[in-house]
Amino acid sequence: MTTLAKRNMRNQIVRNNWFDIINILFMSIFALLILYPFYNSILVSFTPQADYVKTPFMLFPKNLTLTSYQIVFESKVIFTGLGVTIIITLFGVVYNMILTVLMAYCFNNEFPGKKFFLYAVIFTMYFNGGLIPYYLLIKDMGLMDTLMSMVLPTGISIMYMTVMRKYFASLPVELEESARIDGASDLVILFRIILPLSMPMVVTFTLYYGIERWNEWWNGMLFIKTAYKQPLQLVLRGIIQSTGAQVMSSHLQEAGIVPFTDGVKMASIVITMFPVMCLYPFMQKYFVQGLAIGGVKG
Amino acid sequence: MNKSELSTHSVKPSRQSKTLFAAIWRKRYIYLLLLPGLAYFAIFKYIPIYGVQLAFKKYAVNLGITGSPWIGFSNFNLLFIDGDFWIAVRNTLIIAYMQILICFPIPIVLAVLLNEIRQRKFKRTVQTIYTFPHFLSWVIVSGMVLNMLSTNGAINNLLAVLNFDRVQFLTDKRIFRWLLVFLQAWKESGWNCIMYLAAITSIDPTLYEAATIDGANRWHRMRYITWPGISMIVVVTLIMRMGSIMDAGFEQIINIYNPAVYEVSDIIDTYVFRITFQRPANFGLSAAVGLFKGITNCVLLLTTNWICVRLSGTGIL
Repeated sequence: MTTLAKRNMRNQIVRNNWFDIINILFMSIFALLILYPFYNSILVSFTPQADYVKTPFMLFPKNLTLTSYQIVFESKVIFTGLGVTIIITLFGVVYNMILTVLMAYCFNNEFPGKKFFLYAVIFTMYFNGGLIPYYLLIKDMGLMDTLMSMVLPTGISIMYMTVMRKYFASLPVELEESARIDGASDLVILFRIILPLSMPMVVTFTLYYGIERWNEWWNGMLFIKTAYKQPLQLVLRGIIQSTGAQVMSSHLQEAGIVPFTDGVKMASIVITMFPVMCLYPFMQKYFVQGLAIGGVKG
Repeated sequence: MNKSELSTHSVKPSRQSKTLFAAIWRKRYIYLLLLPGLAYFAIFKYIPIYGVQLAFKKYAVNLGITGSPWIGFSNFNLLFIDGDFWIAVRNTLIIAYMQILICFPIPIVLAVLLNEIRQRKFKRTVQTIYTFPHFLSWVIVSGMVLNMLSTNGAINNLLAVLNFDRVQFLTDKRIFRWLLVFLQAWKESGWNCIMYLAAITSIDPTLYEAATIDGANRWHRMRYITWPGISMIVVVTLIMRMGSIMDAGFEQIINIYNPAVYEVSDIIDTYVFRITFQRPANFGLSAAVGLFKGITNCVLLLTTNWICVRLSGTGIL
């Protein structure tokens, strides 16, 4: 393209017209729509009950208080939940990543029966046994009421495995071939050559799996009977679904405080999503690229 | 599979089986590395699929799945006369189609519009904001929403300040489905938009430059370059969604709904959950619902895939 044409084009493109203005306005409104529920929750969690009841519609807080957070932190449930969630997240992510990476590596190779195994795996995406056989399986395996019931069934996400496989396939073949000629085994090739070259993908899927395990509540609801083994999200669900004085009642009766139910609920929510909120803006690049690569190539 | 190949090899050693065996032997470590993953799918996916037979059995705890007696289609007969089941089927279909109607186009529009924004920082910021809700569980989102939309919540307070009547968002049967669909869009639009945005980014920029020089305005560029560039991925995504029409968002509904709106929001998954864990359980009956759902989904997926092959020459399966 000639410089003249380039300059013409730039002139045409850089100028903001009404479309840009409306577009930016629209995008901003949508962003505010996404943000408001978060703002509201954080606001309520820091507001004293008296203010909350008096103010017809609150946009900015007049007084801030930490009472709600105090109540949440003084009860034990949030900490046991946090402990359980941290354990299942750590174990779960390691377990998920090992299984996923190994399978992605294998399916990136040619071997007799590959098609059969691949179809057998993909079939499970479209047909599953349903809730009851799954429930009975966990029961028969003796995983009832164990933390493993929230780790072992998570295994491999077929979508992540596929994206990873495609990423491996996009790496230069020569590296692997020359390593093989030098006598490197599959494990060496995977861990010394392929994985170091795939770090962005590894980080991305570690994050995805990490968030999924962090958000675990469903397996917990099905299989966990003992209160102190409940994951954080399930504890939170209990708090949200309870009404009025039920909220952390045992503790409050001792302390003799009338709880601000909404405040306590919102404080619990803010605490639960705090790690994700902190992590997210800095890791945004990694959060986005997994789906981007999977979408374009898939 | 390995074993059977091995045994036929030893019985009838032909040249072909010898090379096959050699090929397998050469890749023995690959099979070894594949084993953990396959074991996972065998245990946690295929054993439950085997357990689907429960749909035709009367489950007895002491006999287990295989030992329980066969009872033919009794579970299905029992299911099909249950009015709640048909309400659940109807709700599932209605909510899923509403989702396709509302939640499916929003990310596409969002991606096209985001792509038109040239202020890089602004673009990145709003994209970060849009994507965030995806990474939160429905437990958290439902918590925020239940508070915001309750009778004394922020939205109703705002309505009151503006002299409108308070709206019972969470218990009004006319509103509740729309609320579900809107929340779905709120949570997932930004995330789904990334895929389309990536597809748009991968369009050759010289196409836009050439079109601009030829005098194409922004609308022309969107209509004749951007849209054809993403239409394929739109079709594929639509097929995938159609194939899981029996999924209307279990995690969302189980966290938000309440008895007042069961009639309009009880979907198949929540129905199974309730008949299994909140009533004297009949596992055979619950398994029958699961099988019904699984088969319907499979049939729908194959049908939409077939239509897609007929229309565009390529399917997704």
